[in-house]
Amino acid sequence: MAGSSFTRRRAILLLTLTSVLLITLDLRGSSVVNGARSAFGSIFRPIESATRVVTRPVQNAWNGITNYNDVVDENRRLRDLVAYGQGANIAAIATVREAQELLALNGLPTLAGISSCTAQVVGQSPSNFSQTVEINRGSECGIKVGMPVLNAAGMIGKVTNVYNKRAVVMLLTDPGYSLSVKVVNTPPTTTTTTVPGSPSTSSTTTTTTTTTTVPRTTTTTIKGFTPGSTLPVTTSSLAPGVTAPPGTAGPNQPGQNTNTQITVPPGADLPLRETGALEGRGLSKNPVVRFIENTPRFGAISVGSPIISAGGATSLAPPDIVIGTVSKVVKRTGTLGPILEVKLSANLNSLNFVRVLLYQPITERPAEP
Amino acid sequence: MDAIVGLAENKYTRLVLVSLLFLSLQTTIFNEMRPFNVCLQVMLLLAASCGLAKGSSTGAVAGFIVGLLYDFVLTTPLGLCAAVFALVAYFAGFAHSFVHESTWWSRSLVASAASAAGMIVLPIAFTVTGAEGVLTLHIFTVAIVVSLFNAAFSVPVEILCRWALKDPAPVR
Repeated sequence: MAGSSFTRRRAILLLTLTSVLLITLDLRGSSVVNGARSAFGSIFRPIESATRVVTRPVQNAWNGITNYNDVVDENRRLRDLVAYGQGANIAAIATVREAQELLALNGLPTLAGISSCTAQVVGQSPSNFSQTVEINRGSECGIKVGMPVLNAAGMIGKVTNVYNKRAVVMLLTDPGYSLSVKVVNTPPTTTTTTVPGSPSTSSTTTTTTTTTTVPRTTTTTIKGFTPGSTLPVTTSSLAPGVTAPPGTAGPNQPGQNTNTQITVPPGADLPLRETGALEGRGLSKNPVVRFIENTPRFGAISVGSPIISAGGATSLAPPDIVIGTVSKVVKRTGTLGPILEVKLSANLNSLNFVRVLLYQPITERPAEP
Repeated sequence: MDAIVGLAENKYTRLVLVSLLFLSLQTTIFNEMRPFNVCLQVMLLLAASCGLAKGSSTGAVAGFIVGLLYDFVLTTPLGLCAAVFALVAYFAGFAHSFVHESTWWSRSLVASAASAAGMIVLPIAFTVTGAEGVLTLHIFTVAIVVSLFNAAFSVPVEILCRWALKDPAPVR
């Protein structure tokens, strides 16, 4: 009996020491552990694929029982969204193209200039405590740890483990996820547009007056230019067949009298941006943005303000990737900035095809010879 | 050839094969079927059933092997689930040793309690190793759902474990 107890104690001690050793090796990023995981993945993948094929009818039956009503509702909602999106898509494509042209013109980086690798989500974490998904492309496609992953709606996460033909993506909702982001806030402005002239007027000239009221006073010495104030914009339509004389089109021609009013978007109308850190809080909670400064210039953050990636030399994601919108603003006392809850634009519960941006920050890129 | 036959007759080889089967179920069907938004843990059930089938010492070693295989597909530190599953299997075997006349429902009850304990200890272990945000009230929902499921299926899984971990017949 004493011998049995000794053997038992020795076995338990051995197991404990082995666990501690393995955990230590893994936390220190041992290549042996990574190699073992990669090798196990290669062995286990065919078994998992076979089981997936065999159990698919059961999964489908389960989904049919539990999700039927949701699917019907979602289908109806999606039909509405498709109808709405078709119209908005055309305008969006034009806007994106214009923005990319502007960025390229000014020598700024754009998403269009970054290579990417399209992959399919083949599984998610079987754990209740981490939010990761697995994709079917890996290092053979050029994917490296840290690269951002998006789907059609926006950012979904970053790559945390890479193997030859698969990679693990940590989702934005994982408590271990953090990313530098920008919150785009628009200051309150009041715009009134009046179009004078009754239907009985037979004149061919239409005058449009735009009145923009901004709660601040600006004094400028530029003749004919008052930002943020009432800016009458006059558009005259010429009679058919009459062309404008050369040299008169445009507000600032050489040698021309510049008494005419220049239409320049006032600075206060441009959206203000403030940076913060996006942090995941688990599957059941929305991510939050912290470290937003409580500055008067930025103003009160409104629900619905877009949140995009901030970029930067050390950020793992390039700038201007859509992440979501502000769903709740939690104000704090004193000079502490608010905490923003984020409604993600991507639906992390139904991920299928994703795009891995083959982007590395400047600090991570290997030095060129 | 004898070495291969000997390896095939080894109880831990059989356990690894059974564990791989369970792991494939865990990562496919039980990953999709999430009642109450909880991922059912058949690997934990396997570990607890090993403890029930063969006692605390053998159960702890078996639980360690099961947990280690599970660690390979998770992103958590390697060895963490192995330690927790070994603890669960040891606890199941140890607790059941106090039962005077064991019945199917007493075994189910012990498997259920061990599973619930495991689902509480696991996030605590994650937190100890540096994970954040896993210690929430949701773990109690997880513990309850997993323990009920494991109680329902502990009897057939224990029979499977008893077969996998049976000692080879003595050679005459």
